[in-house]
Formats: sequence, structure tokens, C-alpha cells
Amino acid sequence: MRATLSFLSSVNKPTGRSPSVLFLGVVVMEGRCAVETWAEFGFPDASRTPRITCARGTDVFICTGSDEAVLQFPSPVSDLVESHDKQLLYVSCGSGVYCVSFPFLLSRAQSSPADACSGPAEVKVPSEFLVVEQESVSSLLLVGSVLLVLSQRDASWLLSLYKTAKEAQCSSYEMLSSFSLPLVSSGDTEGTGMRRRPVLTCVHSGEPKSQSSSSASSSTLADSHFQLDPVLFKLLFGIEAALAKSPVVLCGLPDGRLCFLPLRLPGARLRVLHSLEEPVAFVGLSVVEETCPGHAKCLVVVGEQGRVVLMKTVKGGPEGGGTTAGFIEACVAGPVVCGSVDKHRLYYSTGSDLLVLDLSVGPSGRESRERDDDTSSPTAAALTRPNSLNVCRVMALAAPAHNNAGEVQLLGLSVRGQLQAIVLPVVERRDEALSNQPSAQVGRSVGDLLSAIGDVCQRVSVLKNAIKDKNQILRHLNQVLNVSFLLIASTNSEEHRPGQEKPIRCRALTRWSRLLQKDSLNLTCVLDNSSPYVLEQGWTLSVTVFPVSYSPGAGEESSSTNFSFPFNYLHPGETLEVSLPLAAAGDTSFPMRVSCSLIFSLSSLLREEETIHLPGLQRSCISLPLNTLTVDWLHALQVNNPTTHPINRNATSQSNHYPTDTVKAFLSSHRTRCSGRGESGEKKAEREQHSARIRVSSELLRDTLVDTLEPQGPKLSSENLCISLLDWLLSEHPGGGKIGQQGDRIALSSSCVHARGPNGDSVKLSAKEVHVGEESTGKEEHLSAVEVQLDSSSIATVCGLHHAVLSRIQALLQSAPERTASTVRVQSLGLREALKRAERLSEQIQQSRISGAFGMGTSTGQMSRSLLAVYKELRENPLLII
Amino acid sequence: MYQPTCLLNTWVQENNELVKKWKVRSRAQTHLRWCSSEFYKLLRKTQGVPPHPDHVHLELSVVYNACVCATVQSQFTEAQLLLTQAIQRALQMTSDDPVAPDLPAFWRKVLRSVVNTAFNSCVLDLLCLQWAMWLATCQLKTIQEFKLSSLVETRGAGVGDDKRSEARGKTSDAPLLVTDPRRLVELLQICTSIAQGAERLSEDQSSEALSGLQKASSLPAPRTLVAYVHLLSGSCLSHMNCPQMALQCYRKALETDSCCVCALYQSMLIYRQLGNTQAEIQALRLLHSMLMLPSATVPALAGTHLFSPSLLLCSQSLSSLLLVPSALSVLHNLALKCALHGRVSEGVEHYLDLLAALHSEDQHGVRVYAEAPRLPRLPELYLEAGAALLMARRSADCMALCNEVISTTLELLPERLVLEDPEERSEAETRDVTAEGEDKMAMLLWAGAAYLLQGHCHTHLKDWKQAVNHFTRCINLLVKVRCKKTDMVVKQGSDLCVLQRLKGLSLAGRGIAFTQTNHLREALRDLLLSLQAFPECVGAGLWCGEVLWRLGRRQEAVACWEKTWSFTTQSSAEGLPLYLREPQSGPLLDSKELRHRIQELGPT
Repeated sequence: MRATLSFLSSVNKPTGRSPSVLFLGVVVMEGRCAVETWAEFGFPDASRTPRITCARGTDVFICTGSDEAVLQFPSPVSDLVESHDKQLLYVSCGSGVYCVSFPFLLSRAQSSPADACSGPAEVKVPSEFLVVEQESVSSLLLVGSVLLVLSQRDASWLLSLYKTAKEAQCSSYEMLSSFSLPLVSSGDTEGTGMRRRPVLTCVHSGEPKSQSSSSASSSTLADSHFQLDPVLFKLLFGIEAALAKSPVVLCGLPDGRLCFLPLRLPGARLRVLHSLEEPVAFVGLSVVEETCPGHAKCLVVVGEQGRVVLMKTVKGGPEGGGTTAGFIEACVAGPVVCGSVDKHRLYYSTGSDLLVLDLSVGPSGRESRERDDDTSSPTAAALTRPNSLNVCRVMALAAPAHNNAGEVQLLGLSVRGQLQAIVLPVVERRDEALSNQPSAQVGRSVGDLLSAIGDVCQRVSVLKNAIKDKNQILRHLNQVLNVSFLLIASTNSEEHRPGQEKPIRCRALTRWSRLLQKDSLNLTCVLDNSSPYVLEQGWTLSVTVFPVSYSPGAGEESSSTNFSFPFNYLHPGETLEVSLPLAAAGDTSFPMRVSCSLIFSLSSLLREEETIHLPGLQRSCISLPLNTLTVDWLHALQVNNPTTHPINRNATSQSNHYPTDTVKAFLSSHRTRCSGRGESGEKKAEREQHSARIRVSSELLRDTLVDTLEPQGPKLSSENLCISLLDWLLSEHPGGGKIGQQGDRIALSSSCVHARGPNGDSVKLSAKEVHVGEESTGKEEHLSAVEVQLDSSSIATVCGLHHAVLSRIQALLQSAPERTASTVRVQSLGLREALKRAERLSEQIQQSRISGAFGMGTSTGQMSRSLLAVYKELRENPLLII
Repeated sequence: MYQPTCLLNTWVQENNELVKKWKVRSRAQTHLRWCSSEFYKLLRKTQGVPPHPDHVHLELSVVYNACVCATVQSQFTEAQLLLTQAIQRALQMTSDDPVAPDLPAFWRKVLRSVVNTAFNSCVLDLLCLQWAMWLATCQLKTIQEFKLSSLVETRGAGVGDDKRSEARGKTSDAPLLVTDPRRLVELLQICTSIAQGAERLSEDQSSEALSGLQKASSLPAPRTLVAYVHLLSGSCLSHMNCPQMALQCYRKALETDSCCVCALYQSMLIYRQLGNTQAEIQALRLLHSMLMLPSATVPALAGTHLFSPSLLLCSQSLSSLLLVPSALSVLHNLALKCALHGRVSEGVEHYLDLLAALHSEDQHGVRVYAEAPRLPRLPELYLEAGAALLMARRSADCMALCNEVISTTLELLPERLVLEDPEERSEAETRDVTAEGEDKMAMLLWAGAAYLLQGHCHTHLKDWKQAVNHFTRCINLLVKVRCKKTDMVVKQGSDLCVLQRLKGLSLAGRGIAFTQTNHLREALRDLLLSLQAFPECVGAGLWCGEVLWRLGRRQEAVACWEKTWSFTTQSSAEGLPLYLREPQSGPLLDSKELRHRIQELGPT
């Protein structure tokens, strides 16, 4: 409903300049696409606002340019007609004919609270407006003050005449008379789908002495009542009708009969003029000849299946009996959905095409009149050659209008509900004998043809472009879908096989950089397209960074940060590198989670001007999650280079700030360790040194690190094992794997590394081989293990690093081969002790939590101290990880 | 048994509500339909439970209401079905199952079995409805056989019943009825009398009809129906050749109901039959003015009664008696009578009114009648009006009207036309169906008559040259017609008769015009030809004698005059249209002077 209305309001523009009061209705029967339509043209009156009336189902829409209203009727609307002064609207629906006055309607529409945006005002038509109570009214016609109502009864068509009131009074109209015509079963068309509405038109006899014919004809055309040539009028409808100057109502019935009724003739009856033997689709008048521009010389009746009947005056009848009415029948390719005539042409729509038929080549042409003997045969031949206008799906046509340039403008309503203005080029009327024309005319017609060809070419190229665009979009969409399916499938399979990597995934590496005296940690994300598909325009890499946990004091503000990087093309095998700031120095909200996803925006499929019309599309997009990376404390560590002081390091020298002078490194590390030890002794009074230890069995490390690191030999020495462990811990990047660039490698020479955490605290990582024995059992069984010790003055750093190292080793354990686990001998006692300890600690925690919850006994400081003690104790005796 | 009584009460209330609603606005058709369906629904509810003696009264009341609704909407079969089924259901309790071959037998059985039960009166009410349906479907014989009026009368007169029904009306727990059965009986009785009277009248049993009607005239009834009774009595009397008494009856009918136009029409016919032209014209004038009243044809009765007389009185014989021609037709009659009987100027005015009415944009009050049998075709009306204008010596107006006819027909006139013998054509081929030949003939005759009238106009203006011109045009038109057979019988009113008459008149007119311009030879030729075509033409005969006289052929002249005088003047002109009569406006010859001349000539 809304769509129809918006289309109608958009129509205002084109109709605003052409004849202005457009009156148009659509009736949808049973809500399906069986649409019956009719259109009528009025001519400008004082106000040049277009008015559109449109009926659909039980509703009638009215648009007067500024105001819109919907009239709701109790049952489906079958026909509507406007009064001559445009003040009243007669609408027929199931229960009868309603009369609605526009002033009333507008006042009601304005008084009802309706937003401009929420659509037009809806007015329920009250039953007081029922002026004619008659069932199954199918067509209406207004002639003067007489309202004609055609309805179908059980066995007859009933044409009733009602006297209309001057104003819209809420009283029934007085019936003047009624005429009935017995129903004839229309055979096969009865059952098949759409029943055509009977066509009602009114024909006047033209005044013979019409000098001011142009004005007269235009004013009468406005009433949609036509003036027929008086001679033809008399021939068709009789002398009495002509003498009484009575308008004649023509009624084309769905059973093919064309009936007529002289309105003002006493004793007149509804009589059949002609039978078309197929549903009458259109009745109209055409001038055909230029000699008498005022009056139509030809009555045109078109049937639904394409039968065209022209009724003209024929001079010199068969037995010399003066003029007679000639009926010329022809067939065009049907089905005729709607039709319209202008002076010389019949326009009709078959639903798939709009065709124009030149009526003037008929027997009234001068040549054919000379040879009286065969008048009909050339006509019929000429009539079967309509020209296509290449406009499809026209459901209704308004009367053609000629503008000043001589162009013919047709208004058509398409099946989809678009009102189309169809402007025909100036076509010179060609006579049949083209050879008789002077060469200038021939040249001109050739020019016309050429320009027509040019027009067609232009249209073809436009259409080709459109098709190309569509193909492009489809291909694009196909790629997008492929990528989507690939990623979705890999997400699903990942749950079962965690080892398998996605074909499109992200890796990342972290770098410290210094900008404007400020250190910051940058994350470089690398999107790796190892899928067989191209990531085309419209894809966006979206990276969301958020801390895994945040301190309660920081609140919610430290939540996620989103970065998106649109990119154009990423062919298979190519990578895309983007970098983004992760954290500034002093930010301790590690570990952080980096989740990557690919986003495709649907609006990028279309061009910008197309997306404007689809506001919903701009927001719609496809989001495909890739993988999630974790940036932990280890990644954020700045390893102290022996040569350069970390504080003096600048961003530009970052790539080569790890010189490979192993001796120096060793020395410096040794020195710092010694000095550190001394320092620690000194600072013990003022600052507590925190430490944590993790023990990993060296056998496990040997087995796994050999796999992950490059093999440095068949068997690693203990020293090398420690170094390689530290190396592995420090060099692995988020997202797994190592950066292949040599310059980025941290060459470790000693098993002790000094580094600075992101908050600036220095930290020492050291690894040494220890032997863990089962002393209590007395057996000589002991395992060699590597112990990683973390020492720092900041407890946060120690905690973070401890967590990071543990999670790394956990990941390592997951990828460890099975056999290592089988060789492990369980340290039952150690485990038991550890378990006991853990139980005690858990009890302690519980206690402190309870007291904390009750808020009594202990202060917050006390509580945190006790928790810290517990934590320390947990860290004290690390279990051996085997 | 608490529940049934409770249900009964709600149903009774529902029924009464419906009846009240019905009475608020019972006119609208939609309201009627709505009420009808509501009553049907209620009936279905009440019949949902098995028949119970407590329910019978309510149930039959609802049936009554529903049947009234159906009958008023002319749904007789539905109503009939409803009625019989309801009664059969009611009788199941008395364990009588009246199975009867036809309705009268069924009803007899029913009446016998309920005669002493509580719901006797309800069944009698329903019998009234049956009566109404029989009447509406014109089954007068059944009504007569059944002696319905006497049967129901006993019930209506029953004292106890009256009391009971009054009591019933007051207490709220009794079911109401949409119409009072007693009023219905009254209406049915008078309507039956009227229908029977009309039937007998059409069967030529005027005296029986009259006696029946005289009984009916004392019955209480609405005005319209009493007027119908008087009207029918008048018709019986006029059939029995008592025109004055018939007139009295018609007068009574009109006095009873001033809208009874048919009484006026019938009296007009009697005046015409009596030859009282002035009274006839007066009646026509009254009739026309009454028909022009907006409410003339709509019976005012409908407001008071649910059953309109048009529903109950639908027999063919009655409606043919009540038929009144349209206002236009009456106006034409009036104009013609005035023009023929010396009130020319009045007639002209009526003719002009008629033409104006035909041309009026919105025909105020003049309904377009689908059947207006009496009105001649439009060109003929023009010509008649023209002739009347000529009689009133308004020749310019006459010529304008004739011009209109000529301009309309001229382009369509054929070059040649063959006049066929009307007897050869089969009866079935009516004027509408036959091809254009007939129409062409009529057209040619109209155009010829128009030229003839124009010629007469010029004669009247003493513009002899123009007169000759127009007469010549007329003659030229007429000679295009060839007769298929040479020995065709000239029948009154046929095309050939009109053709011959036109020929005679136009030739006579031209001859007279020639006489006035002293072209005596041409004049004599035309006048002789005129007499050949139309021997009874008085003007042609007299003027022929005059020309002969002037040419010195006096004996022949005297013979010609005397032959002309021997014709019974205007005898043959009675059925002819006005424009085919001999004009009285041309140059006249004084018969006295002619006789004087004959005497002067003396016996030779």
C-alpha cells in the first residue's frame, strides 16, 4: 500500500506540466495481480495541482498534490468516476455506489492526526454516503446529472439511471429508469480468471456547424465524452437520437456485445449495435481524417483477443442507397489489455508490448475511396501491421496528449505500478504510396528511420551495460559467498581438529616503537590469504583488541578497541600487513586478545547512486570471524640489549637493536646479573623482590623444542636447552609461528635475560637445569628439569610473566607428542604434597573471602596481604611440568 | 427445569429486541436483510432444542417474524419452506404428522389437529402469512377454495383471543411480532377482493366482480386500496355500458385518494368514448399535471404498512388496469387534441412544451420510461408540432422545425428505394429488427413531409416561388420510391398510403401555387396528378375546377366541383397524423361563390 502511494506521489512531477488533473484508478481484485485499470484525463482548471485517485482493494487513495488521503470502503471497489466539477467522487463497491465530496474528504483527512511521514490520512467512508443501493455494480458513468450504474444480475445486465443531487447529500438518489439486457453466456471466457469490467462511454453527436471546433472538442474530450460525426452518429444510433440531441451511452460487455442506449429518448431501449464475440476491451473515437477536425469520424472497438472493429461512414452503399455505416473488422495480435486512441492512431498494450496502429490508412484514405469495389481488404491488411513501441507491461493508458512540439505523450501504468510517461517522437504520417512522395519527404523519413536506429542503438548499449554490471555484481557476490562458506566450514571443522589452520588467517607481531618521547607497543597484523579465492573490493579487515581481564579499578572503560582496514584486492597467496597501536608504555592491561574478522559490506556491490535508494543496504554486511590472537606479557617485554640501554633506544633503530655480539652480551648479562644480585641485596630493605619459578622437564623440552625450534643438533646440551627455551619464550609471536626475518630474531647468548616490562619495571628471566629427585623414596630416580625463574620488583610483572610462560608451556604440552607422556614417572609424593598444600591454601583463600565478604575482622589491607602470601606460597614450590 | 425457562426468556428478549430494532427503521433494504438474517439465526437457536410445549409459542412467533421478513423481500420459496417445516415441528408434539400431497390439504389437516391446542392462534397467524404468499403469487383459486377470509375472521373476532393478545402486548415476557396479525388480515382481505375483482373483470364477469367489490368497499382499508376498489367498480360499470355510473365511481376513487391517476385516466378514456372533447382535454390536462407531481407514481401507502400493495397485488389483469401512460405521452395526446379541436394556440404551446421536455438536459420529474408505447417517433412529433404551428400561423417557427428534420435526414436519404408490400414481410420482423430499408423509407417520408410543410408555409406567406420550390423538392423525393408491385392495396396508415397522400398534397400545393402565378397549364397538370394520387383531396378538386373554369372549360369545372363536394370531408383523415391533413391556411375558394357561379352558368 505504501509503495503504491509513494509511486503515486513521485508521479506528480511528470504530470505537473502536462494536462493537469489526472484521474486514475486501479482496482485490484482479490488481491492478486488481476488488475483492472482505467485512466481519465481532465484539463486544467484553476488549480494546476495534479490529483490522483487510485483504488485498490477496498481502499481508494486520493492525492491532490499536497494532501493525500485513503478512503476505506466496506467492500472491494469496482469502479470510480469523478463528477464534472471535480467536487464529487462516485465509487462503486459491493454494496452500492458511494458519493464522496472532496471538500469533506480533505477536511476529514486534515483533521485526522496523521504525520507526513506515517502515510496519508485514512478515512473510513460512512454508510451515509451510500447514494445508490445496488449490488454487484461493475461500472459507472456520469452523463450530465445522470449517474449510470451497470450491474450484473442473475440473468441480465442492468443499466440503471439515477438522478444525482447537486451537493453530496446523504440521501439515496432517485432512480429514473433502468434497462436490462439478458445475459448471454460468454463461453470460454467465463471461467478463465479475470473478468473484464464492462466498458461504459458516452458519445455525443457533433454539431454540424462547429467553427470553433478545436475548443469544443477539447472541452468535450475533457468530459471523456466524445463527439461523433453527426452522419455516423445518425447511421449508428438512429435519427431520433440525433434529433433529440441525446447523448448515447455505449456499453461494451464482457460477452462481446456492444450496446447503445440513447439517454434522452423516450421509449429507447438498450440495443445491441455489434457483437465482437470476445470481451470488449476498449471503445473509443478517432478522427481519422483531417478534413473535419472537430468530430471523430470513426468509432473504434477493440476486443480482448485483438479484434478491431472500425465503424465508419461509407458513401454509396451496396445498392446505391446513400451513405451507410461500414463495419471494418481486422485482427491484431492479442491479448489487448488496454487501449487508447488519438486523432489517427490506436495505441494498445498486449501486456508485453505497447503497439500503435495507424487507423488512417483505412478506406477513408483518398486512394481507396476511388476504388470502391474492394474497400475492406486493403484496410484489414493495413490494420494488421501495428508498430511496436517497445514498452512492456502497460496495464492502462491515459488519453494521449499532444504537446507543442507535436510529440505524443502517453501515460501508462505498468503492472508493477509505475506510471510511465511515454513520449513518442514526431512521426510524419506516411501514406501507403511512399513512392509518390517527393524526395525531400523520403529523405526526411530516411532520417527519421536513422535516428530511430540510433535511438535503438543507444538503448541497446545502455541495456548491455546494465547486464554487464549485473554480471559483475553476481561474480563478485559469488566470490564473497565462496569465501564465506570456506571460513564457516573451517570454523566448524576447527572444533574437531584444532590443529588445522584456517586458509585465511591472521598472524601478528609486536614491536615497541618510540614516538614523541613515548614508547608504545605496536601490533602488526598480517592477513594471510592462502585460500584459492580472491578477496575483492568491499572486504574490510576488522581487528578488535580487548584485554582478557581488567582490574576492577579500571572499570569498563578499558574495553575493546576496534580497527578496521578496508582493502581492495588480495589474491591467493598474498598477504596484507596492517599495524595498529596496542598499548602505550605503562599500560599493564596484558594479556590482550586480538580478534580478527573479515567484513563484507553489501553496499559495495552496487554503485553509490544505487545505494542511496536502499538505505537498509548500507548497514547490512557479512561478518566472518577469522582467528583470535593473544598478546601476553612475554610479547610485551622489551629485552635489554647489552649494548644499548633500553631507554636510549629509538624507534628507528628498533630493527637492528639486537647485535649479535654474543660475548658482549654474555658479559653484560653476567655483569648485570651480578650487579642485580648486589642491588637486590641492597634494595631488600626498601623494595621487595618477587620471583616465580616454573619447572619443565627437559626431556619434554628436548622433544618439543626440537620440533618447534630449528634443530641445533641431535641432542641439546643443558645450557643450550635453557637458552633455546628462553629464546622460544621470547621470540614467538602472537598467532603462532615465528617471523622469518633474521633481523627480528633475538639472539640469546646466555640463559639469563634482562628485560623491561611494559610498565617499565625491569625483569630478569633465567633458566637453569635442575635435577628433581624423589628423596623420600630414596630411589635414584630423578628427572632433569629446566627451571625458569622470573624475578622482578613488580609483582604485577611477575604475575603476568608467570601466567604468560605457563600458558605458553601449556600450549607446548598440547602439541607435545604422546610418547613423552608415557615415559613420565609420576611423582606421587610430590603431587600429594602439592595437593595438600593446595588444599590448605584454598582453605585460606576461602577464609579470607568469607571474612572479606562479611567485612569484619580484617581490613582490606590485611586481606590483600594474606592473599598475597597465599599467592607467593603457590609460586614457591612449582610442580615439575613433564 | 430451570435452564429451559431461562433460555426461553433470553430468546424471547432477543426476539423482542429485534422487533424493536426492526420498527425503528424498517424501510431500508439493507436493514431488512439484516433483520431477516438475525431472525433466521434466532430461529436456528430455538429449533436447536427438541420441541417442547413451552417453547412452541416463542418458536412460532420467531417463525412468523422470519417469514414476514422473507415475504416482504419476495423470497416466497424460502418463506414457504420455513413455514411448513416449523408447523410440522410444532405438530410433532401432538403426535400428528400431517403428510399431505398439497398445501391446502396440509393446512386443513393442521387446522384440524390444532383446533383445541394452546397454539391455535399462532398457527392461524401463520396461516395469514400463507394467505399473503398465495396472494402474492396470484393463487386466487386456492384462496377462494380455502375460504380463508371467513376462517381467519372467526379468529380475529374471537373475544378471548383479543384479550390475550392485548395482554401479550403488555407483558414483556411474551414474544412480539413485527406486524399485527389483525392488521394483516384486514389488508389481505381487501387485497384479495381487489385481485379477485380484477380477475373477474378480465374474464368478462363484470357483474360478479361488481358485487364482490361492493362488499369490499365497506371493509376497513387504507385509502389507496379503497380507491382501487372504486376504480375497479368503475371499470366494471364501463364494461357494462354504464359510462355515467363509471364516471361516478372514478370520481369517488379520486375523492378517496387524490393520487389515483389511473382513475383520472380511465375517466378521460370514457370522455373520449362519449365524444366529449372538452371534458377529455380537461381530463388530459389534469392528468398531465398530476403526473408531473414528484410523488405521483410512488404510492404513499408504503410508509404505514410493511406489506406494500404492490407486493400483494401483482396480478397481470390488475396491473393492466392500473397502467397509465407516461407524462410525455399524455402531453402529446393533449397537444394533439387541442390542435384538432380548435384550441390551436393551446395545442401549439403543449407541443412546444413536449419538445422542450424531450430536450431538457436533466429531465426534472419526467422519468424516462422504458416503455412509452403511445408516443410517436421523434421526427413525427417535430412534424406534428410544425403542422400545429402552421395552423397557428407561425410559419417561421414551423419552417425552423422542418429544417431540423430535413437537416437530420438529408444526408442519409437514399437515391432509390423499393417499397415492399408489408404483407409479404413476416410478422416476426418488427420495426427494430428489420434492416435499414424501413428506416430509410420512414426517413424519406419524414423529409418529404417536412418539405411539404415548408411549402405550405411559403404558400401561407404568399411566397409562391419558394412554395413551388419546396413542393418540387418534396415531389422529387417521393418519386425515388418505386413500388415492387403495381397493384398494392393502399391501407390506412401504411407507408404507401402516406406516400400517396404526400404526393397528392404536394402536387396540389404546387398546382395552387402555379395557379396563383397564373401558370394555368402547369397548375392543371399538377392538380390532375394530385387527384390521381389522392382522389379525396378537397383542395385539389376545388382548385382543379377553378383552373378549368379559368381555362374556359366550365362544364368540366362544374363536374369537378360537384364531385369534390360529394366527398365526406375529413372522413379518412381521422387516423392520420396532423401533418398529413389538408392545410386550412392556403388560399381558399368560397364554396358559396362557386355554387353561385354554377347557378349563373345555369343548366346547360
